[in-house]
Amino acid sequence: MKPKKQIKPAKLKLPKGFSIDKTLNGKYDDQPFFKDKTERANRILKTVGLPKL
Amino acid sequence: MLYERYDVNASADLTSFEFESKGPKGTIQKVVRYTEINVKGYYNLGFGDKDPYTGLISDLTVTNNNDSKKVLATVAATLYVFTNNYLDATIFATGSTAARTRLYRIGISNNLAQIEKNFLIFGLGKDRWEPFRINVNYIAFLVRRKS
Repeated sequence: MKPKKQIKPAKLKLPKGFSIDKTLNGKYDDQPFFKDKTERANRILKTVGLPKL
Repeated sequence: MLYERYDVNASADLTSFEFESKGPKGTIQKVVRYTEINVKGYYNLGFGDKDPYTGLISDLTVTNNNDSKKVLATVAATLYVFTNNYLDATIFATGSTAARTRLYRIGISNNLAQIEKNFLIFGLGKDRWEPFRINVNYIAFLVRRKS
């Protein structure tokens, strides 16, 4: 089953206090911190596997 | 989540979020980002402080702005927003240090009843996942919206 697609921005309903800031689009793509965390997550899940959801 | 939280700016695809922690240590910019990992539909929740001089993100600094509950409530709010829009996503989270992971565990434990209304939540023990239980020293967490 394919993951459900993201709802298009025009239809988004954000909670109070949230707003869209387009300057954030891709802003943190190259941050080493997030890459390191992703790699660590991959290592852990490769080692222990996934739970039965 | 009933705790007060900060206002948040979000990227258009709702994978990156910024907010400001305000307290005795001044204004600290916080960043939350959901990045898909090697398992399809699984995302890592990354959360840290932005260094005002280098622009680099790190979660090894201890801010001590007397607002940890408000900060965690804000991060939790981004989880709701992200999973509202990525309905089949499973979120992986762990701290960069044992102390940090423990902080997350305490936050989850203190709000477990509320969390479990909307989410399945698992903790990683020594070598296997199990449904989250209070007072168990987990090293990572998985969260998924209930269908």
